[in-house]
Amino acid sequence: MSAPETAEVLARNSDEAAEALISAQGLTKRFADFTAVDGIDFDVRRGEAFGFLGPNGAGKSSTMRMIGCVAPVTAGTLRILGRDPATQGPAIRARLGVVPQQDTLDLELTVRENLYVYGRYFGMSRAALRPKVDELMDFAQLSERANAKVEPLSGGMKRRLTIARSLINDPEILLLDEPTTGLDPQARHVLWDRLYRLKQAGVTLVLTTHYMDEAEQLCDRLVVMDGGRIVAEGSPQELIAAHSTREVAELRFAPGANAAAAERLSAALTGDRERIEALPDRVLLYVADGERAVARSHEIDLFPLSSLVRRSTLEDVFLRLTGRSLVD
Amino acid sequence: MGTEVVAAPPLSARPSAWRVVEYQLVAARRYWRSMVILGVITPLTYVLALGVGLGVVVDNNGRQLGVPYLVFVAPAFLTAAALQIAAADASFPLMAGFKWIRTFHGMVSTPLTPDQVCDGQLLWIAVRLIVNSSLYLAIMAAFGGTQRWWVLLAIPAATLTGMAFASMVAALAAVLENEGNGFNVLFRFVVTPMFLFSGTFYPISQLPDWGRWLAYVSPLWHGTELARGAGIGGLSAAAAIGHIAYLMVWLVSGVLLARWRFRVRLTK
Ligand SMILES: Nc1ncnc2c1ncn2[C@@H]1O[C@H](COP(=O)(O)OP(=O)(O)OP(=O)(O)O)[C@@H](O)[C@H]1O
Ligand SMILES: [Mg+2]
Repeated sequence: MSAPETAEVLARNSDEAAEALISAQGLTKRFADFTAVDGIDFDVRRGEAFGFLGPNGAGKSSTMRMIGCVAPVTAGTLRILGRDPATQGPAIRARLGVVPQQDTLDLELTVRENLYVYGRYFGMSRAALRPKVDELMDFAQLSERANAKVEPLSGGMKRRLTIARSLINDPEILLLDEPTTGLDPQARHVLWDRLYRLKQAGVTLVLTTHYMDEAEQLCDRLVVMDGGRIVAEGSPQELIAAHSTREVAELRFAPGANAAAAERLSAALTGDRERIEALPDRVLLYVADGERAVARSHEIDLFPLSSLVRRSTLEDVFLRLTGRSLVD
Repeated sequence: MGTEVVAAPPLSARPSAWRVVEYQLVAARRYWRSMVILGVITPLTYVLALGVGLGVVVDNNGRQLGVPYLVFVAPAFLTAAALQIAAADASFPLMAGFKWIRTFHGMVSTPLTPDQVCDGQLLWIAVRLIVNSSLYLAIMAAFGGTQRWWVLLAIPAATLTGMAFASMVAALAAVLENEGNGFNVLFRFVVTPMFLFSGTFYPISQLPDWGRWLAYVSPLWHGTELARGAGIGGLSAAAAIGHIAYLMVWLVSGVLLARWRFRVRLTK
């Protein structure tokens, strides 16, 4: 980059870029006449883990592809590292790590070759790549498969390799589109641990997920997306506090009896924030005190087959905000 | 912190399309042997079956060609082989990069641009064509299919011909969304007839008018004229420039078209 251009970029961005590594206003993505992302605003700050939570088709991947400077923005403004993706895509991408929803590994190449070749795309020298590739294979626990083809690796191993590959250029921002979908619980925990360590090392994480526990574990802040819009924003705790009650009593009645029970239970509610959600297989009572709600149901002669009292989670927030369950 | 944010990436060099060629070289470690074997067997088959076998018949029936039949057909076979390899390499393998293994989508999330991915893939095909044509020529020479050093110019002629066609096929590969049935149509109704109507086996003066017009349109005929001119002479400078210009028009429009379709496909 030439000197005057750098100076100009510096002058333009020194104040706001310091706050937000990524900032979007009215960000919109349309495919023909279909609007996948409908004018969303958000900022991602340096060093935080920021999540997009939402059901299938919410527009998470479309947003990620715009942040990744792959898909052009239809309308609105987007700045990444203070730069405009429309004009400085390659320079921005040089500082990003991208884990796409679908792997793009070359199945014919070995683990090592996949990392090496990808590093070369960033213009890295062979000498710089050699130790980096070894380090990343170690990080992904794939050192033993270094010279094995990628094709026969398990889904979890391929995912770990994709994540390792995304780190080849020591990115400032790591974009992870459903990093753990399709992994078994143990593999997910290993990945969470890896991501947590990256965050400790100062990497800014942006991830999408439909897993509540993942969002709660990893994200400092998140937005809930639905139908291309942001319907809520905050830390997991803030969202729960703002959109749900402290406790949830889950009462399971005989199949077909849940709706009728929910009807009668509305009388058992107190307080204006308390409410009832009737799902096909169970009734959820959003209340301050779960045990008392269960007791009240007994008082009005409603005896569920089973009952359980738990704390509110993001799942409940999502149900509240969209009227739909997150995992379908 | 603001300065840190916008600092230029501390990466050694801006990547170029050659990084894509390098990727193909790494991948080729696994299949270069079969590539070479195929690159030897194909010309051998043609030399033995057509050049030598058919050549005996042709040479015995009057020598209007002025040179042995093998010398007449060798540069043309070489050019036709380049075109076929170019079409094959620019079709399904490129489609895989978009659709099946999706490697191109991975490339454009690095500093590489869709244009560079396109150029890199085409450069790789050009490398293959140069290697393959050299091999082809060596085998032709071993069987007495060459008479003078000028024949070496058949290698760039064949490569240019192959690339003129490959760029168009690459554009098609970036457009096709189905399982690639469009390629089957291309091979059956374009590539194979082109082989028959481009003066490969006999001068196109033997063709009826409509056949000659097919030849004039076909990049393969222009390439064949160039390669044959290199091999046995009799090609005026003006004609050579005309053939080169025609192929360049194909190549330049093909590359522009392919880059455009790569951009559209990879930046949805
Ligand atoms: N290239 C495209 N052309 C047309 N429509 C598209 C394209 N890509 C995405 N869409 C549509 O945009 C909407 C949002 O898709 P997107 O992939 O962003 O959702 P998502 O939140 O990532 O969903 P998922 O959880 O299933 O990955 C969907 O309705 C999808 O069909
Ligand atoms: Mg998605």
